Amino acid sequence: MAQQQKIELQDLDLQQLVEVKKQLEEELSHLTSSFGQLKQAQNRFADCIESCKAVDDSNKDKTILVPLTSSLYVPGKLADVKKVIVDIGTGYYVEKTTEDAIKFYNTKVDFVKENLEKIQSTVAQKQGNLRSLVDVMQYKMQIQQQEQKAAAAAGKA
Amino acid sequence: MSAAVALQRKLEADSSAYQKIQQDYSKAVESRQKLDSQLQENKLVQEEFKLLKGDANVYKLIGPVLVKQEKNDAITNVDKRIDFIQAEIDRVEKQLKELQEKSEKKRMELVETQTALQQQQAAK
Repeated sequence: MAQQQKIELQDLDLQQLVEVKKQLEEELSHLTSSFGQLKQAQNRFADCIESCKAVDDSNKDKTILVPLTSSLYVPGKLADVKKVIVDIGTGYYVEKTTEDAIKFYNTKVDFVKENLEKIQSTVAQKQGNLRSLVDVMQYKMQIQQQEQKAAAAAGKA
Repeated sequence: MSAAVALQRKLEADSSAYQKIQQDYSKAVESRQKLDSQLQENKLVQEEFKLLKGDANVYKLIGPVLVKQEKNDAITNVDKRIDFIQAEIDRVEKQLKELQEKSEKKRMELVETQTALQQQQAAK
């Protein structure tokens, strides 16, 4: 890891190739799970935007059910439709107008989208690497088999 | 014979020391990554505070309740936290470098002992 140098896949023996393959597969599964998590985060932010849109003048003073837990609700009245409180991370929450909150969540969605694209291109690249690695492995295995066969034939003769 | 036994002992001691260093190293890498994600989150919060309007209310989550905070207090608090995390990162970074040097040195020692042992066995 300390010194990265370029090594041709052809120069590695089978055992080393298996090691590299394992490493690549680990990286890939890590990346795909990150991708899934980011996708979830994106959906959550999109849900928040939808919810913010519901808090408008047409819904003022309407009765709503407020969830205290996932299975316990109390009736409430929507008194303030101008402001919402937004979680901005590390335990801090700030009061924002609904428009600002929607803006906030839109930037979040864009931010996540950017990272999703980055991960996607990395995944594609790693998959390409893995494919060429497997090709080289198969090639090496064929050669090994042929050699064994030749050796066996020579032994008989 | 006793020389060979001594070498064998040294080899075992060295390799366990080497493993210990490797473990410490991966632990340090882990904490470095954790610190980095904390730094990122705090930076996002800092950015968000900058966009805040003058009269906006700020709350902090303490247990299950939101407690109202003075905006300036919150800002200095986050600034301080970022400084602290930055200092922590520098510390871990230094630790990583030291561990790397140590592991490299141990590895050389290990190889040396191994070759000495092999030579002795070949001489017999």
